[in-house]
Amino acid sequence: MSTATIAVLVALGFGVMLARRRSFAIWLLTAQSLLLGVAALTLVDEGPGLLLAGIILVVRAVALPALLSLTRRRTPEPGPVTPATTVVVRLLVATVVCLIAVASVPPLGLGDVAAEHGAIALLCLGIAIVIMRRPALVQVLGILVAENGVYLLAVSVHGGLPFAIELGVLFDLALIITVAAAFAHRIHGEIGSGDTDLLRGLRD
Amino acid sequence: MTDATLVLAVLAVPLGSAALVWLMPTARAADRLNLATSVATAVLALALAVTALAAAPGEAAGGSWYVVDAASGVFLALVGVIGLASAAVSPAYLRHTGRSWFSARRSHAWYYAAFNVFWAALLALPLVDNLALAWLLIEATTAASALLVAFSGKRSALEAGWKYVVLTTLGLAVALLGIVVLFVAAGGPEAGLGRLDWSRLASHAGTMPAQTTLFAFILIMVGLASKIGWAPVHNWLPDAHSEAPPPVSAMLSAALLPTVLLIAWRAKLALEPALGGAAVQELFVGFGLVSLAIAVPFLWQPLPWKRLLAYSSLEHMGILALGIGFGTPLAIAGVVLHIAGHGVAKALGFYTAIPLLRQDPSAAESPPRGVAHASPPTATAMAVSLMSLAGLPPSPLFVSELMILLGGMDAGLTGVSALAAVLLALGFIGLAHALIEGLLGESAERGGRPTSRSARAVVLLAGTATVALLALTIAAYALPDSGIVAALLGSGS
Repeated sequence: MSTATIAVLVALGFGVMLARRRSFAIWLLTAQSLLLGVAALTLVDEGPGLLLAGIILVVRAVALPALLSLTRRRTPEPGPVTPATTVVVRLLVATVVCLIAVASVPPLGLGDVAAEHGAIALLCLGIAIVIMRRPALVQVLGILVAENGVYLLAVSVHGGLPFAIELGVLFDLALIITVAAAFAHRIHGEIGSGDTDLLRGLRD
Repeated sequence: MTDATLVLAVLAVPLGSAALVWLMPTARAADRLNLATSVATAVLALALAVTALAAAPGEAAGGSWYVVDAASGVFLALVGVIGLASAAVSPAYLRHTGRSWFSARRSHAWYYAAFNVFWAALLALPLVDNLALAWLLIEATTAASALLVAFSGKRSALEAGWKYVVLTTLGLAVALLGIVVLFVAAGGPEAGLGRLDWSRLASHAGTMPAQTTLFAFILIMVGLASKIGWAPVHNWLPDAHSEAPPPVSAMLSAALLPTVLLIAWRAKLALEPALGGAAVQELFVGFGLVSLAIAVPFLWQPLPWKRLLAYSSLEHMGILALGIGFGTPLAIAGVVLHIAGHGVAKALGFYTAIPLLRQDPSAAESPPRGVAHASPPTATAMAVSLMSLAGLPPSPLFVSELMILLGGMDAGLTGVSALAAVLLALGFIGLAHALIEGLLGESAERGGRPTSRSARAVVLLAGTATVALLALTIAAYALPDSGIVAALLGSGS
């Protein structure tokens, strides 16, 4: 996979971290997932497993954001959710975390250093999104950004991963995102907002 | 019945039950059908467990995707028994549930459907002979059990369920990255799934690049730790255990956590030749000590009953991590005994929450008070559970903790054993204090005394658990020299 493609994938991850509107964040995630799927399809010459991986990624890129868009429409926010931190702080923290992680991870043996670094960066970005963003739906997008990091590494494996794993991961992820979307809907019904900061009753 | 048929039956019955029970038109029909199929599931699981445990050490049976060895046997028995007990007490919980996530008419059907899918995934976990398949099943347990955690539909339950889904899914994403890295490191001509079979990993571990394999192993362990509930990635655990329906809390604590721990254990055994014993041991011992150290201060706090049990789970997962990390025969015998004893005592504790919360609903949010005065049977069950969990002799957990600590000394880690002993002693004092406060003192009774039927059920549960715990204590004396421990010392191969 080209370095430019990987850079765009990471940039789209940063976009999800910074986007204010949930709809825009979903579009960015869709673009990231589609780009990953198309990039996998262009690597079919390296192994037949990548054809299936590409198809799975494209299906996932369409289906899961569609589900999240539906959930967004069913959970209208009465007003913008106040971010926990400013855009500058989020950008700074995410950049520092990604740089430290990429610098401290040893070579993973893929032979594609850019893909290895991109995967680690996306995983860290996904975790950072979950920690730093408050809307439930954006936290789900954080999970998907992290999973896209894993997929980036998976499609960079020579010949791709066994299709049983690809299919299994897709099924599990679809199941989890469906459950998470149901939670987001239910939380909105209970507190009138998707702001997870309002769910802070359980403390010792 | 052959092993292969039995394996398929163990998984097919709960999955079929999930579908059938969902179709039941009434709550009572769902209750009855679920109980019947749960008995069948448990009998099949125990039959398979007996087959596994009866085999000679090192003689594991297996198929293209499953393995039936001593470890499978121990965990199948545990998950089978806890699953059946949870299914049996579920109607008592559901009968008195006020609101729920689902409509009143369909709540039993949804509850049992999710319960059975969760149970099937838990039964499959000890059987799968492949790291990637194990990951898929662990992720599946999250989807099914998250709905159960938030079953009451209360705001606090939604918060707990949401944390559980998000944190464990993120953790498992980290583990998946580790699995992909390990797939690359495992190399070899096989391009398929077989590259991640436990036996294949163990036999090729010596040829894997040490640095990449270690990195993969750390990612896998950190990811699994988030699901096992090891500190410092345990944040979901106290919330989910305290907000879930009591039978589900029992499944989470007594069955889910140890079963995911088995996957970490199998990964350790398979990859040790590539990593060297010291690095692997340090990781397990580190998780163990941190979990104990984080849990103990909470055991000293006045906490609601189920929340106290949840922090006790953190403590016990820490002890198990230490035992597996020490890895000596005595420590492994302690681990086996501890898993069984913790399962029985913790499940009893959570089941006791059903009459406790009915009698005093405020116990969901504040520590129980004066239970001995309000309901002697409930107080007895609480005492049996908490004193066993604290490790008061003749609890099997006293013996198992002793075995693990002595096993640590055998492994040359006397300092770690001594530190763990101090933390366990502090935990004991905290739990003993909580029990005295809970049983004695002024009663906070608000929901009336338990019915005679309910009291009989609690006495039956406490009596059965006491007998099981004493039997485990007696069995402990034969365990260190048994074939089970010999097999578990090499169950990654």
